[in-house]
Amino acid sequence: MIEARGLTKVYGGKTAVDGVSFTVEAGRVTGFLGPNGAGKSTTMRMIMGLDRPTSGTVTVNGVPFDRHQAPLRDVGVLLDAKAVHTSRSAYNHLLAMAATHGIPKKRVREVIEMTGLADVARKKVGGFSLGMGQRLGIAAALLGDPQTVILDEPVNGLDPEGVVWVRNLVKYLAAEGRTVFLSSHLMSEMALTADHLIVIGRGRIIADAPIQEIITGRGRIRTRVRTDQPDQLLRLLAGDGVSVEMQENELLEVTGLDPRHIARTALDHRVMIYELTPLQASLEEAYMELTKDEVEYHSLITAGATAPAQSGGN
Amino acid sequence: MSPTTFESGPAAAGAPAGTARSGDSLSTGPGPSFLRVLNSEAIKFSTLLSTLILLASTAVVLVGFGALSAWGTGQFARAAETDQGAAAAFAAQGSELALGAPTSGIPFAQLILGSLGVLLMSSEFTTGMARSTFAAVPKRTPAFLAKLLVVVVTAFALTAVSAYLAGLVSLPILDHYGLPLDLGSAQSVKLLLVNSAYVAAVAAIGLALGALLRNSAGGIMSLVGLFFVLPIVFQLIPGDFFEEARKYLPGNTVQAMTATEHFPDTLEAWQAALVLGAWVVVPVVLAGILLKKRDV
Repeated sequence: MIEARGLTKVYGGKTAVDGVSFTVEAGRVTGFLGPNGAGKSTTMRMIMGLDRPTSGTVTVNGVPFDRHQAPLRDVGVLLDAKAVHTSRSAYNHLLAMAATHGIPKKRVREVIEMTGLADVARKKVGGFSLGMGQRLGIAAALLGDPQTVILDEPVNGLDPEGVVWVRNLVKYLAAEGRTVFLSSHLMSEMALTADHLIVIGRGRIIADAPIQEIITGRGRIRTRVRTDQPDQLLRLLAGDGVSVEMQENELLEVTGLDPRHIARTALDHRVMIYELTPLQASLEEAYMELTKDEVEYHSLITAGATAPAQSGGN
Repeated sequence: MSPTTFESGPAAAGAPAGTARSGDSLSTGPGPSFLRVLNSEAIKFSTLLSTLILLASTAVVLVGFGALSAWGTGQFARAAETDQGAAAAFAAQGSELALGAPTSGIPFAQLILGSLGVLLMSSEFTTGMARSTFAAVPKRTPAFLAKLLVVVVTAFALTAVSAYLAGLVSLPILDHYGLPLDLGSAQSVKLLLVNSAYVAAVAAIGLALGALLRNSAGGIMSLVGLFFVLPIVFQLIPGDFFEEARKYLPGNTVQAMTATEHFPDTLEAWQAALVLGAWVVVPVVLAGILLKKRDV
């Protein structure tokens, strides 16, 4: 479990992370989502004790990272694929890291096999592609078989195969009861990987909720309706807080009414509908909605998960 | 690199299902004790080709200069047989020249190993390795001390062995010119040990500069400035202050420490040793403190 309380980092007058508080629970994949420069990497470096917080605290399993007895065995981290001396081979890099905690060579070879680096392990890291660098970073993170795994943008530069691999890996680690915290600026990736989402924008947490809630709860209910009497149905459905948009001939998109209500209205007035599809906002849309205006979102959070956005919408 | 690598991986990866510590317990496995960190730093040191090249260069330079110096001294001795002026000069310093042959390459060895000291620390930051290093050793100080120990011991041992080899190479050359050199004499041993300690000190100063500046070029330039430029500048600027201050530059301590007798207007051997010690301790302590405080 990772706990941040009022975590703040100011770099020369610029606030990178602004009083952030969150908890990353064990046993699930927690995504850390935000645009570039939102403060994700800074937050992760503070968790690892690499950057000192200007104020606030962060602990892993209740203890600040620099007070852990065996840091690599508690927390594995991929902060940056380039956190390696470019002239050293991957094997020697991992060997040196392992030596600090008395981790046997056998385990070094295991993580090399696991991450698919066997063919290049003896080559200099400087010649690695970004994808291979990421695999090496993940290998280093897994070295101590840690209870907590922190991965900063792990899929960056990976080929599609590698992306699927990381996705399976983090889900597996979480299923084993480990704490998994991974950052990304790719919403689509998070939708497929994370169970819980912490969204950060301009150094502040703007959402902290299960991913399903962020996708469905934040937006308004939208339904696609096909009917051969669109004009009549449009008139019937019109009302407060409801917007109906004629998208093409016989196709309406209704916002603010649930599908059951639409079907009931149509049945009562003998309007035939031949498609009724609830539309789920994509995480992408939810995310745009979240980050487009921090202040507006702030009121949305406090209004509760089910409240529709106060802004007019369509 | 097939996507199935992982599916088959974990069970074979020393993490069979159920052994992962669930919940929030802390590991009780071995942590970064100083000896383990030292082992890690030794692995890091020995697995860089650039490091090994610098070490080999140092050995070659020391042995090469030893031979060259022995040959030059021999030529000097031969000239002294026929030339009155040369004879007088040779009588004054000939034996000292022969004695100094094994350590004649020290000024270059100190530059190479001092630069190595800078690079060992600065490259941690320029390559981003520092993030891995300090994630494994979050207290940071043990990693710094381990690096310091590795570079100081290596610099001392390499210089001592290479200078001794240089002595062995010099022996037949000097012998050819009928010049005596006893590598086992008290002064020979003293020259060897003091010069080796001096080079180790320069390497430590380099490491501290690397940690303070976090920049390879800046660190090496500072080192060159301190050991090669400042002595000349201090000599060129007129005035008693700079003449006095020159004695306290780290590069000028080695003569005072190895002198067979004390000359007026120079530091006593023990004073020079203290001065050099201060030149090591102050930057190293400063680097250690700042390394712990600064963000990586």
